[in-house]
Amino acid sequence: MTHRRAANSSHAPSCGAVRAAALLTVALVVAAAGAAGRAGAEDAQPAALDAPYRAPYLPTDDAVDLQDVPSRRDPGVMEMLRSRKALESSPRDLSAALRLADAYIDFGREVGDAHYAGYAEAVIAPWVGSSQPPAGALLRQATILQYRHEFAPARALLRRTLGLDRGNAQAWLDLATLDMVQGDYAAAGRDCVEVSAGAGVEWGVACSASLRSYRGQARQSLALLDQIESGAEYRVAGGPAGYRIWTLGLGAEAAERIGAWSIAEDHYRRALALKPEDNFLLVGYADFLLDRGRPREVLTLLGAHSQSDTAFLRLALAKAALHDPDASRYAWIMAARFEALRQRGSDFFGREQARFALELQHDPATALELARQNWTQQREPWDTRLLLAAALAAERPRAAAEALAFVQTNHLEDPVIGGLAEELRTRIESSAAVLP
Amino acid sequence: MSWRIRERAPGQGRGGAAGAFAAVCLCWSAGAAAHSASDAYLDLTVTRGGEQGGSLVHGQWDIALRDLDFVLDLDDDGDGRLTWREVRRHREDIARYAFAHLAVAGGPEHSCSLKPGIQEIDAHADGAYAVLFFDVHCKRAPQRLSLDYGLFFGIDPSHRAIVVLHDGEETSTALLSPQNGRIEVPL
Repeated sequence: MTHRRAANSSHAPSCGAVRAAALLTVALVVAAAGAAGRAGAEDAQPAALDAPYRAPYLPTDDAVDLQDVPSRRDPGVMEMLRSRKALESSPRDLSAALRLADAYIDFGREVGDAHYAGYAEAVIAPWVGSSQPPAGALLRQATILQYRHEFAPARALLRRTLGLDRGNAQAWLDLATLDMVQGDYAAAGRDCVEVSAGAGVEWGVACSASLRSYRGQARQSLALLDQIESGAEYRVAGGPAGYRIWTLGLGAEAAERIGAWSIAEDHYRRALALKPEDNFLLVGYADFLLDRGRPREVLTLLGAHSQSDTAFLRLALAKAALHDPDASRYAWIMAARFEALRQRGSDFFGREQARFALELQHDPATALELARQNWTQQREPWDTRLLLAAALAAERPRAAAEALAFVQTNHLEDPVIGGLAEELRTRIESSAAVLP
Repeated sequence: MSWRIRERAPGQGRGGAAGAFAAVCLCWSAGAAAHSASDAYLDLTVTRGGEQGGSLVHGQWDIALRDLDFVLDLDDDGDGRLTWREVRRHREDIARYAFAHLAVAGGPEHSCSLKPGIQEIDAHADGAYAVLFFDVHCKRAPQRLSLDYGLFFGIDPSHRAIVVLHDGEETSTALLSPQNGRIEVPL
């Protein structure tokens, strides 16, 4: 009755609820081992992680913290409450609904919590479901689907938005994003031109600069981004901070492409100084630190962000890299979260799952399968890197043939990807040489 | 790699309809969405105590505290941390809200009702959950019981309930969504 619905970490997160229940005994053993070895773990753990495996209980201490929730003192929360009140007083007002949906989407993205995408979806549902949905509602629905990695329906909604409002720069920008994520750089280039026409040259330049970093021109990309970022204070009207955070983040990624580590770190730090809680920046910087062999700093950076699954994976990777006694518990919880996603029939989060299988479960065959599936959806450098790494680890270099061609065609720069690609090509050539 | 161009407030900045945007961007990586959406867990055990007017089905309903906080404002001092004191103080609100979204029916003449039991706390992989126990009683035992689930669907269409039904040796599972919120339990 009170069993836990979670997979054991030694299994790929693929077993069903019933099987998961049957695994309870094994899970408890793992948990006990983790707890026994935990004495001396230094950092303060969020309440939710303290004892994840016990049965329902009645806390004995009134003052015990059970759960972190958004604080009402958070500016993002205050904005949500204000917008919620405004919509409640005029529930048929589309612009009030769009403001609230934006507040939810923004906050959810910042803290890395998918609940808010659902709240936003409910707010705009009456308009999206109407016989003639307005462009603004379709655009938000597309954003929500894109956030959930439902790329094909998101793309269809962006097309519908542009059918109603050809000059909608935000829709073009979202389409450019989608095309870059999916590796259709020719289409993204056309989208960026429309962005420039609709939203102004600052946006068009940033869009094109970001595109360059995927196509062997990361150095030029970085120079452009630095130029527009430093000019943002006086050129970009309305609110330069967000624009600066974005261009700094893009600059960090461009610097990573060319192995300019100190420049990349400087960009991450400057962006985080402007927006310390941003889940995307935190995760990007954590990946940077993991790659640089600095896992201890990841624990400090992400210690308070274990609610976000993307952040949690990096915490688990850092724990493993440090041979922390708590590492197996973190891996177990990560597997349980993936299992919960699978049970809800949720979207496929292949990048994180592939990395988990490869680096924490040491299961290259599963990692390769997940990375291949993921690569049919997403082709950002990390997706390509994982596919190459998994193919190498699984000793199936030819499984990465399409990704290798993609790297070559687009001149994708990245020291890690470059090394993996070279190794894979050597293996393919040497195996071809012994064929009759 | 996605960002927001926010519409300019009237009278602000560059003129002209074509340039009616100001720049506030938010984030840059559509490929790195963080995941955890809202789930609840409904564990049902068929007890068949109906002949004696006892419980026909025993239930355990796990609902995430952060979801409950969103609708019920459990965090009284607004400090971003839910303590047991705050949750305990709102136990009746939680039960009232939750059970208003779970209806039970055994057909005409059976007059079935759901009796809330104790509330506890459980730690799941993605946070702490309130655990609501309940029993289903009917005046006369029906052959089939239906439960209509509607928790959070109105405010979050991506909410899902994962149902596990135990009947003797058999266990079955179901996933409830706004499109499919009903469970039929054969007795």
